[in-house]
Amino acid sequence: MDILEILKGFWESSGLAILTWREGLMILVSFVLLYLAIAKKFEPLLLVPIAFGILLANLPGAGLMDDPTGIIDPLSTTIKEGSHWYDIGFLRLIYIGVKSSIFPCLIFLGVGAMTDFGPLLANPMSLILGAAAQLGIYVAFVIAILLGFTPQEAAAIGIIGGADGPTAIFLASKIAAHLLAPIAVAAYSYMALIPIIQPPIMRLLTTKKERSVEMKQLRKVSKTEKIIFPVVVLVICAFMLPSVAPLLGMLMLGNLFRECGVVERLSDTAQNALTNIVTILLGITVGATANGQTFLSGQTLKIIILGLTAFMFSTAGGILLGKLMYVLTKGKINPLIGSAGVSAVPMAARVAQAEGRKANPTNFLLMHAMGPNVAGVIGSAVAAGFLLLIFGNS
Amino acid sequence: MFENFDINASLGEKLAFALPVAFFGILMVFLLLILLAVCIMIISRVVRAGESISAKKSKKGPDTEMTAPAAATAPSGSPLPATQSEGSLDLVDVDEPTAAVIMAIVSNQSGIPLNRLLFKSIKKVD
Repeated sequence: MDILEILKGFWESSGLAILTWREGLMILVSFVLLYLAIAKKFEPLLLVPIAFGILLANLPGAGLMDDPTGIIDPLSTTIKEGSHWYDIGFLRLIYIGVKSSIFPCLIFLGVGAMTDFGPLLANPMSLILGAAAQLGIYVAFVIAILLGFTPQEAAAIGIIGGADGPTAIFLASKIAAHLLAPIAVAAYSYMALIPIIQPPIMRLLTTKKERSVEMKQLRKVSKTEKIIFPVVVLVICAFMLPSVAPLLGMLMLGNLFRECGVVERLSDTAQNALTNIVTILLGITVGATANGQTFLSGQTLKIIILGLTAFMFSTAGGILLGKLMYVLTKGKINPLIGSAGVSAVPMAARVAQAEGRKANPTNFLLMHAMGPNVAGVIGSAVAAGFLLLIFGNS
Repeated sequence: MFENFDINASLGEKLAFALPVAFFGILMVFLLLILLAVCIMIISRVVRAGESISAKKSKKGPDTEMTAPAAATAPSGSPLPATQSEGSLDLVDVDEPTAAVIMAIVSNQSGIPLNRLLFKSIKKVD
């Protein structure tokens, strides 16, 4: 046996021989993201699995996202006659959870179980701030249409402005699955960058006097109110917008687990074990959709810029309505809490708190900002439901 | 209404398509969340009224719940008096994080929620 032949065969079957520059670049991107997640602690719980998913999907010849049957991915370039479902790459199999919206919905179950809607119930006007902070979704939608995206793509891109990862994934997987990777990466990246993106806009749109406003302490919310709330929200929203039922249904079920006080074990599982498991599966498969062949394009760059635009307009929308409330209430509302309406719980509320304290060291805005913050979760789900209703069947 | 979209349309036509979608979209979000806000206010009033009635009824018997005096006298769910929500805290040789921890400990040990406690000053004692 010729040793050179063996070595040649070994080389030809190795990943190095078939590595494309796109895959190589994506592998480098995954290294950068891993660095940001581990060394800089940028949303590590999500960024580590996402970055590793990118790495796995771009390993040359590994075929972890291949679909030789074309069952899950009809546009697959690796379709082979006579293939069975068990020939599908294991990450592609897990991806069914994203494609079918199971993972985003289960994440919402966990989010609901972790969320205290008390600040929102104590100050229902927070909901209006949460609505205003969805402005960026529609601004980005309009710009995306003008840039040549289809309405479905534009809607999926716009939802990045809701600053809600599961909602963005839910909508993108339904109406623009081919853009899922850049949308998810942009959404989670900007959520991690909220402490950098929001403060300049907050300072630009408010005066020091407005930022210094100390708000009246919130009233105590009774347990009964907290139990009734998730049921009422679901019934009202799902009756008006049935397409929002999967997301809001899971969110409110999780919250009912938390508040009803009789299913501690379920609440604990939803908050911890289930959320952790789904986060791993969701993160790794979303990352795995970032294949070099499709991810590295001018379209991705446009999506990343549009996502940032959406975030900025959403922040501005919340603050501007906050300013209006400041005027209407004769200075009782601090406009900074409006910026927290961009969901991203609790990061956006923390940013409002930090900016408020910079202007007035005795200011404690955190609980006030949590109201618009959790309202933003509902608001972005409603916005997604509306866009799904309009463009879901086209 | 929003089905006829031509990807090759002019910018003006695209704008004419996108703006109504955006307008109705944001309108829908506002309407739904305002509706929710109104429902929350109504439910809150009903629940608080119900709780105050049941509190009046149970006033005849001793309060078995272990609550601090301030919490026991204040009706559950009612807004705080203005005097309890304002004012300033004097910190003497104590930094803010330490003061926050002290307030949290006092609240936890006394069983009185922080929004029912009024701290006037925290002073370091050597």
